[in-house]
Amino acid sequence: MSTQHHNAPESEPALRVKALESLLVEKGLVDPQTLDLLVDAYENKVGPKNGAKVVARAWVDPAYKARLLSNGTAAIAELGFSGMQGEDMVVVENTPTVHNLIVCTLCSCYPWPTLGLPPVWYKSAPYRSRAVSDPRGLLKEFGLDIAPEVEIRVWDSSAEVRYMVLPEHPKGTEHMSEAELAELVTRDSMIGVAKVTVGSKARS
Amino acid sequence: MLRPEQVEEAVKTGGSTRRPDDRITPRFKTGDAVRVRNRNPTGHTRLARYTRGKRGVIHHDHGVFIFPDTNAHGRGEKPQHVYSVRFEAAELWGEPTSLRDAVYIDLWEDYLEPA
Amino acid sequence: MNGIHDLGGMHGFGPVVREKDEPVFHAEWERRTFGLLTATLALRRYNIDEFRHAIERMDPVRYLESSYYEHWLHALETLLIEKGVLTQQELNNRTAELAKGVS
Repeated sequence: MSTQHHNAPESEPALRVKALESLLVEKGLVDPQTLDLLVDAYENKVGPKNGAKVVARAWVDPAYKARLLSNGTAAIAELGFSGMQGEDMVVVENTPTVHNLIVCTLCSCYPWPTLGLPPVWYKSAPYRSRAVSDPRGLLKEFGLDIAPEVEIRVWDSSAEVRYMVLPEHPKGTEHMSEAELAELVTRDSMIGVAKVTVGSKARS
Repeated sequence: MLRPEQVEEAVKTGGSTRRPDDRITPRFKTGDAVRVRNRNPTGHTRLARYTRGKRGVIHHDHGVFIFPDTNAHGRGEKPQHVYSVRFEAAELWGEPTSLRDAVYIDLWEDYLEPA
Repeated sequence: MNGIHDLGGMHGFGPVVREKDEPVFHAEWERRTFGLLTATLALRRYNIDEFRHAIERMDPVRYLESSYYEHWLHALETLLIEKGVLTQQELNNRTAELAKGVS
């Protein structure tokens, strides 16, 4: 059921947003500085570095890992991460026999407090359509070949629970500190389209 | 209006749609076999088409949350249990690439019936 | 609704296309749109479920052809008008003024 609200010829998005924002500001409903702060929070402050810290902590502290897997929200909050689009968190663990993959087939739900805002590909039709029905083919495209004896679990974030993958602790990193380990954890490994290796480098 | 000085708190707190209520007893528990109802509402729903009519197993009860099918249409929050339900790939797709794989999807109690 | 957004299991969309070193936002208007969602939800004239449903109600061809934040923009315009916060006329007039460079 679509609603025809656009009698005016479709103007480009920038004009439309300017019109919207300026009207809302004039009516005293929106403060432009509020928008600036929200943008700054998610462009510069909240991002996958947060999730990487959670993963590294779980790798070095087995008691923390147990808490993380039984109550993701509380354990993640222990490290100071919480809030919008992460109010209810579940963390799923990759093991030698289980590989997890996160998707939102219906829109773009994603754990903002630990991973920041989702990349365009996560929100795209190719990913959303194929993650649930052909995870192996999809992961091959990402360069990840999952062995036939490994079970793939795809988590479709259809409600308000937000999911994050705890990747496997890579071999050859036993000498690393928690901070050094966090540097290896990529956003893609916490979605489930990549693994963490001793050569990984978290982008930012 | 959301003021600039409120942004930090808003980001850190968010807005959970959980509505804890011990009086709302769950119909299902972990391990129960369920079937997704064949519902085709013309309004808002989070009942993905690929699960309708399919048989799955309750993996976990997430607790009680607002129901979007009513909340999106001014018909109230109708809080109810949301379950993580496991569906085998073969059940969903017939002849999947791997029989080992599964999809876990979160479904409100109203979407489910015993299998 | 059995809308175009319900993509799970569909075929034909091709490979997943990824941009190297993708920025969080691709344009200033995306930033403002992002901020506007939280700022307008705080007005409590609509909720997140209504927001998602407004996107689902987009014309299916436009849904597939437009970018992610254009979906948000469509939902914001739709809901703010449906809830009486703005009128289509106000929005049209302001857009036309801005297009002409009058502010």
